[in-house]
Amino acid sequence: MPNIDRREFLKLVGAGGVSVGAGFMLREANKDPREYLIPHVLAPEDSSSGLSTWYNSVCSMCPAGCGISVRTYEGRAKKIEGNPSHPVSQGRLCSLGQAGLQALYNPDRLTAPMRRTGAGDSASFEEITWEQGLKQVGDRLDLLRAARRGNRVAFLTEGVRGHLAQLFESFMRQLGSPRLLHYDFDHPHTLYAANQQFFGENHLPYYDLQNTRLLLSFGADYLNNWISPVHHSLGFGESRHGRPDIRGRFVQIEPRMSMSGAAADEWIAAKPGTEGILALGLAHHIVAEGNYSGADRGAWVTALADYTPAAVAEQTGVPPTTITRLADSFVDTAPSLAIGGGAAGNHSNGVDTLVAVNVLNYLVGNIGQEGGLVFNPAPAGPALQQHRATYSTMLELAEAARQGEIDVLIINGTNPVFTLPPTAEFAQALAQIPLVVSLSSFLDETAALADVILPSHTYLESWGDDFPEPGVGFSVGAVSQPVVSPLYNTRGTGDIILDLARRMGSAEVMPWNSMEEFLKYGWRRIYQRGDPETLAQGFDAFWTSVLKAGAWGETSSGNTAFTLNPDVIAGIGVAPPEFSGSEEDYPFILHPYLSPNLHDGRGANLPWMQELPDPMTSVVYGSWVEINPETAEQMGLTEGDLVDIQSPHGQLQVPVYIYPAIMPNVVAMPIGQGHREYGRYAKDRGVNPIEILSPQIEPITGNLATSATRVSVTATGKRVKLVKTGGTSRDLGRDIVQTTGGLGVEVTSAADNSIPITEVTT
Amino acid sequence: MSLFSRFMDGWRKYRKPGYYDEFDYHWTMTIDLDKCTGCEACVTACQAENNIPIVGEEEIAKGREMQWIRVERYWEGEYPNAKLSFIPMMCQHCDAAPCETVCPVGATYHNQDGLNTQIYNRCIGTRACAVYCPYEVRYFNYYDHEWDSPLEQQLNPEVTVRGKGVMEKCTFCIQRIREAKDVAKDDDRRRVQDGDVQPACVQSCPSKALVFGDRKDTESQVYQSMNDPRNYRVLDELNTDSSVFYLKKVDA
Amino acid sequence: MHRPMTTETFKLGYNDIHDDVIRSIVKTGPKYYIALATAGGTTLLCFFFPWFYQLYYGIGAAGMNHPGVWGTYLASFIFWIGLSHSGTLLSCVLHLTNSSWRKAMYRSAEAMTLFSLVVAATYVMVHVGRPWFIHWAVPYPNQMELWPNFRSPLMFDVMAIATYITGSTIFIYMGSIPDFAAVRDRTSGWRNTMYTLLSLGWRGTDKEWHRLHWAYTFLAVLIIPLAVSVHSIVSWDFAMSIVPSLHQTIFAPYFVVGAIYSGTAGIVTVMFVLRKSMGFEQYITKLHFDNLGKLLLVLSLIWTYINGVELFTAWYSGTSEEYEALNYKLFGYYSWLYWEMIIFCAVLPMLMFSTRFRTSFVPMLILSIAINIGMYTERFLIIATSLSRQYLPDAWGTYVPSPVEISIMLGSFALFTTLFLVFVKIFPSVSMYEVKETMATPKMEPAAPAAGSPA
Ligand SMILES: Nc1nc2c(c(=O)[nH]1)N[C@H]1C(S)=C(S)[C@@H](COP(=O)(O)OP(=O)(O)OC[C@H]3O[C@@H](n4cnc5c(=O)[nH]c(N)nc54)[C@H](O)[C@@H]3O)O[C@H]1N2
Ligand code: SF4
Ligand code: SF4
Ligand code: SF4
Ligand code: SF4
Ligand code: SF4
Repeated sequence: MPNIDRREFLKLVGAGGVSVGAGFMLREANKDPREYLIPHVLAPEDSSSGLSTWYNSVCSMCPAGCGISVRTYEGRAKKIEGNPSHPVSQGRLCSLGQAGLQALYNPDRLTAPMRRTGAGDSASFEEITWEQGLKQVGDRLDLLRAARRGNRVAFLTEGVRGHLAQLFESFMRQLGSPRLLHYDFDHPHTLYAANQQFFGENHLPYYDLQNTRLLLSFGADYLNNWISPVHHSLGFGESRHGRPDIRGRFVQIEPRMSMSGAAADEWIAAKPGTEGILALGLAHHIVAEGNYSGADRGAWVTALADYTPAAVAEQTGVPPTTITRLADSFVDTAPSLAIGGGAAGNHSNGVDTLVAVNVLNYLVGNIGQEGGLVFNPAPAGPALQQHRATYSTMLELAEAARQGEIDVLIINGTNPVFTLPPTAEFAQALAQIPLVVSLSSFLDETAALADVILPSHTYLESWGDDFPEPGVGFSVGAVSQPVVSPLYNTRGTGDIILDLARRMGSAEVMPWNSMEEFLKYGWRRIYQRGDPETLAQGFDAFWTSVLKAGAWGETSSGNTAFTLNPDVIAGIGVAPPEFSGSEEDYPFILHPYLSPNLHDGRGANLPWMQELPDPMTSVVYGSWVEINPETAEQMGLTEGDLVDIQSPHGQLQVPVYIYPAIMPNVVAMPIGQGHREYGRYAKDRGVNPIEILSPQIEPITGNLATSATRVSVTATGKRVKLVKTGGTSRDLGRDIVQTTGGLGVEVTSAADNSIPITEVTT
Repeated sequence: MSLFSRFMDGWRKYRKPGYYDEFDYHWTMTIDLDKCTGCEACVTACQAENNIPIVGEEEIAKGREMQWIRVERYWEGEYPNAKLSFIPMMCQHCDAAPCETVCPVGATYHNQDGLNTQIYNRCIGTRACAVYCPYEVRYFNYYDHEWDSPLEQQLNPEVTVRGKGVMEKCTFCIQRIREAKDVAKDDDRRRVQDGDVQPACVQSCPSKALVFGDRKDTESQVYQSMNDPRNYRVLDELNTDSSVFYLKKVDA
Repeated sequence: MHRPMTTETFKLGYNDIHDDVIRSIVKTGPKYYIALATAGGTTLLCFFFPWFYQLYYGIGAAGMNHPGVWGTYLASFIFWIGLSHSGTLLSCVLHLTNSSWRKAMYRSAEAMTLFSLVVAATYVMVHVGRPWFIHWAVPYPNQMELWPNFRSPLMFDVMAIATYITGSTIFIYMGSIPDFAAVRDRTSGWRNTMYTLLSLGWRGTDKEWHRLHWAYTFLAVLIIPLAVSVHSIVSWDFAMSIVPSLHQTIFAPYFVVGAIYSGTAGIVTVMFVLRKSMGFEQYITKLHFDNLGKLLLVLSLIWTYINGVELFTAWYSGTSEEYEALNYKLFGYYSWLYWEMIIFCAVLPMLMFSTRFRTSFVPMLILSIAINIGMYTERFLIIATSLSRQYLPDAWGTYVPSPVEISIMLGSFALFTTLFLVFVKIFPSVSMYEVKETMATPKMEPAAPAAGSPA
């Protein structure tokens, strides 16, 4: 042991420390430069987590009927994805469809049957057993049926298709009641009527966006809410860049730019309600230029005589050059397609407008053509258009209730107290009905007024099926199967109806013990249409294969030959739209549109949907009114200013959003918020523009002309912070979204970019 | 090779352009702006897949939205010639990611597949990465977000639920990539093949504007797509060498 | 500019100095306790309670958002780091340049450095989302084989601040050893024990004095580049980013100058308070204010120049990104703060061209506080405005501090004050031996018990 004194010891320790440190650093520095964080952070290679199971089913969040594939894990649904083998959605899905999970797991679901106790304001619900609830309703139905007063029962459901619709039909037939109403706020009645008028078919053709080269959309927000948005989006993408060297062109005609308007190559603002006139203006030009040479050309010349470009320009506000240019390219760019809907179909002249759109397709020969408009075969499953309830039908029901003609009203899924304007006095009518039974899964505005609530499963817990309307050119069906066992003490709608049928003594005619059994019974008939190969495998194998695939299709296709009934031509014509309220008192036309996220309000109880920024404005969780920038400037309004929107039938207070693409005399509001019930996420949030709609009716269908209300806009002097996720929606010459093939705007001076920005703070 | 030259060799290679090309995969996404409709199905898909919390109205009013993919909107022109363009924006998985250099603890780093990964349990919440990211696609957990029961039952078991004080962002759905790799390995395949893996956003996109894949596979759809003449990268001038390629809108 | 102090300045004897300074330590009146209780209570109420609340609920208690992920916490952090300059740094510079006027004030100036750094380091904890893992930013060998990221400016930051705290602690402590010994020799009981320990057996031998001076000068030389580097590194947290109006090459000098500027102003404030409250009128004089005023004036001019350069560079870049960020800073939501900063830091300091102004205590106090308000604003604006206007306009947003943040910001001043109040009772807040060095050697007064007193 050498003699080391304190100092030397310290020196050695110091030197040792430094060398260890240096050596260590050197070792680290010489490591492979790849970062070795991974092996420690990632799970070991051989570890496998729990396994997931996928069940194919059908989306019921909107009427499009997309195919879904639900991922479940340990008995719980985890994610809804598109079913790639379903021809409508082809593996894709919209936001609302994905948020179906939050309908299933919604914290505000009804968990057990309930009965109203007390009356008026002190009314509340008490929990009852299924037996109690079913007995109360079943006994009443039995009594009425026995007394041959079954027609005093009314059944009001959301639009359903497939075998559930058939079940409702049989059920009501047993009661001998004609009062079966399928009511959806946004059902395109005018489109069906227009097709009936022009094509003689009361179902929708297939709009072949995918193969078209030019789409003229008269108000149809086909990428968002119109009929089958996911399928149309697929078609849109495919048309744009799915074919070598062909890029589809899209033109959107509407007073307020919708999502489809933003996606379009050209957005044209025609005066609200004159879209049909514009279509006929195009038709006039096509015929006048000799671009139509059918045998009935003479009749067309006469029918369209008044719709000269100059006259149409005068009425629609669209320049004559645009009219002739559009008409020419519509002829030149084959295949082309004209579609109509949305606000254009919701005016007093809605049916005529949509007929006029059909005229365009007829004149250029788009009917029955790939890339045009293809007829669907009649759906393979039950299709029950005759029960589709319009606004007028609903008024009749309300009137019947007030007259004391209704003893029992069963309501399934639909929420008319929210989606009918207060002028319909539907809530008051409900109060006149002795027994209102709701089958809702949620305490929405309508269920809150029911006497008995028999809560049904969500679609992810129950059996059903769907035959999408329109099809995709051939017959499509899909079975909706429970993907999880029921969360609560609820039952499937079909099972409830079958139970009630038994209780009212209809077991002989409706012998099925469950919806599943009834479905199989129904699908056996579809199976029997099959080819020998299908038949050879037996029904059970067929059924399993349908469940597995989640979709079933038939190769038959609809008519391709189409001959126009000559009488139709003489009747062509679009009258100017009528509005409720005078232009002096109500200078603006209210353009209500279905919220892209909340649909007709049904999505408002889903937190994902509430928090999903509105695509056009990025607003979340609220309502707003869109105003043209110049109009707003004249009125001294900026974003967040609270204004009173006054119609002849009501008033709402709502913050302003300055919207660059809306006509100066139009104000637009999304439908979907303004719930008074419907759970914590929906309740008392924003306003419902339906509340101020005037009861203006489209005369042919009797449907509410939702776009025909005039309003005034008055500043209140109050301000709120409009809650939105977006910052400044101008790119200030930064070329973030780059374009090609057109004229770019060169930015020469950054100083010129600076735009005034209003900072909104509360 | 001497210690010194090995060191210098490593130093020279380190994080130079092309460094990540040496590895097995190079995950890449393309976004066709001429197809994107702004529908935001991708946003909901991502929320559902990645357990992204709902923050509530008050929090969004404060500017604390959490969606990993957002759809930005840019208006051009004035009425009646106003035009609106959408552009989905998520982590661009930059090969020269500014966010990675700044993280003091290495909680965000580049993996061998070209992914900018986020290690939640290493993150100390300095938020520096969010400042450094020019695309502003990093979102911070200002609170522990609670789900109203039973909404928590929708949570994806493959994905961590992040707690307060942790940064998060798009991962290119790394859990799906890993699963695809596992499956590929089990199937005795050496590589993940094109189409084996799709992030949630790509999977749901109704217009098929989004394409995802391995750009090292020259047969892959994403390789074709990123070589479309319309391709460009957002903020390319910053040399972030991002893995998300946009296809220009067509002005016609 | 420095002239040695003479007995003209100090018509005092050695013992008077001892008496005055040691009295300030030993004699504690109710005023002190009231002050300490107020400061401590405010610290608890305004700093720690809100912080604990934030720890419990998450950093959402503050107002930060997307894209404003940084806010007042970081602004305060830079502010306190900035304030720490000029304490030790100035002391070192003046020591090396033999500016004897420094001697009366450097001890408290150094204390300011130390406590500013402590507050700044605390702010790091307040700022991060998971402070309980803050040690991960420090390189230490661990079983996870995980190291901090040596490329990260935040990581340099941790190292720089740790080094700076270590350096300035040693510096102030070493400089105080003879004074501790002096206090030891005049106290009894537990104080005597404490100062015996603190003075490390100082006997005042020649060898000890020689070593002290050598080591002191050595450290002074070491600390100057350290101090400069600390704020340069802090500036790199921002300058190394690619955020428009943050990635500026001028940031390192800008931050260093700003730091010395606000630090010097801070010294003026502290001098004023010490002078009044501890009865140091004779030690801290007009001369100190005059000299500090001149220094402040020079710093103000440099600061204004760099500020102009910053604006010009942004404007001259001609890019929309820099331009909008500039536009937002000058005319946006926070523009009123910008112009406040310009008035406080560039316009008002021009008053110091007047000697009368520099030698007036109260106006100098007001100006020094105004400068620091302006400098706090500068730090706030650097963060708040730059982050609000980045590359993608759709992601623009505005950050507004929350009550919790504002409370913590105010509370940090109380924390600083508390630490300082504790300091003045432990450390002789005026360096006795160095003040004595400046005095003419007095005639020995036989009665005076000079036992152990060094000179
Ligand atoms: N939430 C919650 N957390 C807990 C607990 C709890 O009750 N609730 N319990 C705690 C307790 S007590 C424990 S013991 C731990 C258990 O925690 P872990 O050890 O993580 O347990 P497991 O998840 O059961 O299994 C680990 C993995 O081993 C894989 N494995 C199975 N057999 C083999 C094999 O032969 N070879 C290899 N290489 N892998 C195999 C499995 O596929 C699985 O992925 O969890 C703890 N954590
Ligand atoms: S379009 Fe309708 S059916 Fe299809 S996924 Fe969306 S909500 Fe479901
Ligand atoms: S986009 Fe942002 S977060 Fe993603 S890798 Fe690039 S810098 Fe990092
Ligand atoms: S927030 Fe987390 S990931 Fe981001 S820099 Fe800080 S520690 Fe790293
Ligand atoms: S890749 Fe995955 S994590 Fe990234 S945005 Fe898409 S869904 Fe979200
Ligand atoms: S889902 Fe597709 S089309 Fe819709 S916003 Fe996202 S990228 Fe665009």
